Amino acid sequence: MEKINSRSIQNSTITDQSTDLIELRDLRKSYQSPAGPIRALKNINLSLRRGEFVAVMGKSGAGKSTLVNMIAGIDSPDSGEIIIDGVPIHRLNEDERARWRGLNMGIVFQFFQLLPSISLTKNVSIPMEFCNRFTAQERKTRALSLLNQVGILDHANKKPSLISGGQQQRVAVARALANDPTIVVADEPTGNLDSKTACEILDIFSGLSQQGKTILIVTHDKTVAARADRIVSIADGELI
Amino acid sequence: MDLNARWDKVLHDIWDNKSRSLLVIFTLAIGIAAVGLINNTARMIKRDMFGDFAATNPDSITLYVSPFQKELASSVTALREVEDAEAMRWISAYTSDPKGERHNLHMIAVPDFNKIHINRITGEAGATSPGLRDILLERNTAKGLQINTGDTLTVEMENGNHYNLKVSGIIHDMSSQHYSVSGEALGYVSMATLEWMGESPYYNTLSILVAENGLDREHVLNVAGFARDRVIEPAGYKVFAMSINSSDGAPGEHWAKKQLNGVLLILQIMSILAIFLSAGLMVNTISAVMVQQVKQIGIMRSVGATRRQIILLYLGYVSVLSVIGLAIAIPLGIIGAQWLNHWGASFMNYNTGPADLPWDLLLLQVGLGLLMPPLVAIFPILSGTRISVYDAIYQYGLISGEGKRGWIEKLLLRLRHVNPPIMLSLRNTFRNKPRLAFTLITLTVAGAMFMAVFSSYSTVQNQVKELARYIAFDASIEIPNGANRYTAEREARRVPDVKVAEGWAIENGYIVHPNGTEGDRIEIVGLPENAQTIEPRIVTGRWLLPEDTNQIVINEDLTARESGVRVGDEISIKINGLERPLQVVGIVSKHMLGSRIYMNNAQLAKFTGRYNQVDTMRVLATPGALVSPAKQQEIGKGLEKRYEDAKLSEGSSKTRYNIFKSMDNAFNILLAVLLLVAIILAVIGGLGLTGTMGLNILERTREIGVLRAVGASHFSVRQVVVVEGVSVALISWLLSALVSYPFGRILAEMVIRTSFGTQAAFSYSPWGLLVWIAVVILIGVFASLAPAHNAARLTVREVLNYE
Repeated sequence: MEKINSRSIQNSTITDQSTDLIELRDLRKSYQSPAGPIRALKNINLSLRRGEFVAVMGKSGAGKSTLVNMIAGIDSPDSGEIIIDGVPIHRLNEDERARWRGLNMGIVFQFFQLLPSISLTKNVSIPMEFCNRFTAQERKTRALSLLNQVGILDHANKKPSLISGGQQQRVAVARALANDPTIVVADEPTGNLDSKTACEILDIFSGLSQQGKTILIVTHDKTVAARADRIVSIADGELI
Repeated sequence: MDLNARWDKVLHDIWDNKSRSLLVIFTLAIGIAAVGLINNTARMIKRDMFGDFAATNPDSITLYVSPFQKELASSVTALREVEDAEAMRWISAYTSDPKGERHNLHMIAVPDFNKIHINRITGEAGATSPGLRDILLERNTAKGLQINTGDTLTVEMENGNHYNLKVSGIIHDMSSQHYSVSGEALGYVSMATLEWMGESPYYNTLSILVAENGLDREHVLNVAGFARDRVIEPAGYKVFAMSINSSDGAPGEHWAKKQLNGVLLILQIMSILAIFLSAGLMVNTISAVMVQQVKQIGIMRSVGATRRQIILLYLGYVSVLSVIGLAIAIPLGIIGAQWLNHWGASFMNYNTGPADLPWDLLLLQVGLGLLMPPLVAIFPILSGTRISVYDAIYQYGLISGEGKRGWIEKLLLRLRHVNPPIMLSLRNTFRNKPRLAFTLITLTVAGAMFMAVFSSYSTVQNQVKELARYIAFDASIEIPNGANRYTAEREARRVPDVKVAEGWAIENGYIVHPNGTEGDRIEIVGLPENAQTIEPRIVTGRWLLPEDTNQIVINEDLTARESGVRVGDEISIKINGLERPLQVVGIVSKHMLGSRIYMNNAQLAKFTGRYNQVDTMRVLATPGALVSPAKQQEIGKGLEKRYEDAKLSEGSSKTRYNIFKSMDNAFNILLAVLLLVAIILAVIGGLGLTGTMGLNILERTREIGVLRAVGASHFSVRQVVVVEGVSVALISWLLSALVSYPFGRILAEMVIRTSFGTQAAFSYSPWGLLVWIAVVILIGVFASLAPAHNAARLTVREVLNYE
């Protein structure tokens, strides 16, 4: 089974980047706080092409996580449109968004967010179960295959608490790929990792991008952003 | 077995959080086991006690007749209305226990021990038919006297003669009261043995089983009246008394049936309460689980889980716990029921059958165990899965609600001199008001029930004290054949320390209804002038005056059976075969000793022809006051000796203390069962508080981390949590105290109505308040210790990771 690394990235096919996969139109979002409303996103317009590796950069509180959460369907906008592969996800309800996300988008969080009580294999296979993808045997085979791809197969039966943060993040990446999504969204995926491990994780994302996945990474780290095809900067809720 | 990821998560969540899982399992197991235990105990007791009793073919009524030949029973059986009648000889004697204490011994002789059809006895060891100079002992008597088959029992007859009888067998007589409760021994002998002991070979008791409507009291009394008027008295015998052998006068029923049914009803109400509390606790605990799993719910939603899938996952979690809880509850209920049944059998003298579980009860438990948890857990599950992915992952653990202070918070803010950790605990207590309300309801109900049991005990004690009014003596002794009043009183006064000696005459009578039918036996007491060993509580009307002749005072026991009788009524009482019109001038409170009429002895003597004769002697050392139990015992022994020497009585004396003691024993059984149920409720309440505290800590992980980060010691963190737990406990105590009066009143009324068949003045027990405050503080401390320990263990790093 092929591992995703620098060599495989060089050998992978680059997909057609001519069509827009993600389109944000006039996106606005505010939050209430004891000090008054906070305008997290102000009239955002953005298009991302299929297979593009995009880094969203900005300082803490700039609105980058809010922007990515909107795209991932984790949060919903006050106004504006989010069209992903022709689907207006801002019009979907929570359940529809969950199912759509499960099938089309993989998410990697800063703090890994693995389910602590089950093994790494089960963590990877659970999205397939929720989305009713594959047979039970296929799910297991695929989960092991994905763990192998991220170099963590040896720990497949361990629980998340028994492996390091970097290894957990690899599992999170494997889980994000479980249903073979078109898009992978990562919110500060290296923010909690040492530089060596962070580099390895970024290699994986680069490899995925080379395989045609659309990658969207939130970061405030310029070296991380440098690995992307394109950098989108955001400050005070506005693209700059 | 390779489970899918969802079931794997469910099972691992259960296994990895053992204390929480055990909390849910125990919560459910206790509630379901309580239902099984109570209902199965009721069923087993009914099966074993009432079944055993029915198998003895109990009589409908017992007639006490002047000495007769056994053929009289055949003549009575010949009546169309009578199915069967059997003759018995009943004789009182005395025996001693291994400590040398003297006990009444009732000996019964029947014509043929192999042909007992009514009130059957069953052999347990040795012979079932006593030979000459043999005795069969009732099993409780044998146990109490520590006698086995083959041993010798020394019997002292009324005339003072002693006889040694060989115990040839141990039998079981369902109709007898337990030796340890009554203190009276029971044995069966042959008529030949009685003759050898100098007794005449006659029978004196006739047990009658009516042919039809055996449970109809009026009909049974009428049939007994026919037997008396058409057969017994025309044959030249005299009927002294007719008695239905049950405490509430229902023929053919076990003497304790009504009381037992009442107790079981109370227990069933409590079992329903236990289920409600258990359901409440389930909601609370599952709420805790949902709060703890919020982030995981967010994660699952982020990878594609629909809300329905998450709901089903947690319902699966609840169902697995339910099955485990049920697996514990069912055997626990059976074991508990068998234990309670054994306990009841030891007091009620019946044999226990196998511990089993009927299908209907099993289905009830399975139904409750499997349906109730998901049905109640669905509310916190729906609520917990309603959260958005964003809130679940990014907002959870952040305390919101600043600026939404309620009046309690505002009030607490004014308490500026309270130490900050304590203030934090107090504010924490009121943060999640619905959860606080839920916990408080559970603990309050448990507390109120606990206090209600104390108040019931106090009320029962008061009711027993009420009875003391009618046994206001230090000691008393029966004079079997009566004695001259002046002689009997003079002899009693010769006993050291005795200042008051009062002879009472006792006669049997029957109320004759306007339609000519008769009621059952009534004890008529002939009182001396200015009786000092009775302090009657007049319910209506007045007490006797020295100049009263046909004026009588009746007790509430009589009005309970003859409901139409009022003060001012003239009632007809048959005494010595003649009807006497008597005027009711007063009604006194319940005695629990049966229907009684009080009248002046001088007038009673006119009816009976027994002038200056008394049948019982009651003595007091100090008029208007009672002496210590030891002194009562000493006076009683002195009275026995003096009466024996004076040839007035060979009997044992009774002291007021001993009478109370045997009553207390009987009521303590009932109250112990109620207390057991209250403790179960308290355990459920404690588990509820534990769950709530765990939940509160979980929700404030970050806050605790901040406390630790700013230098709070382990002790300070523990203090914050424990003070919060104790605060909730104390609030619940306050609420329990407020509702304990109506709760106590209802429970006490049920207990009194069940036990006494009457109403009693409610007596609120402050002891319940004091004991419960100690218990609830302990619950508060113990319920918060584990969460406090967990909170103190949290490191700042863990808290930061929490988000």
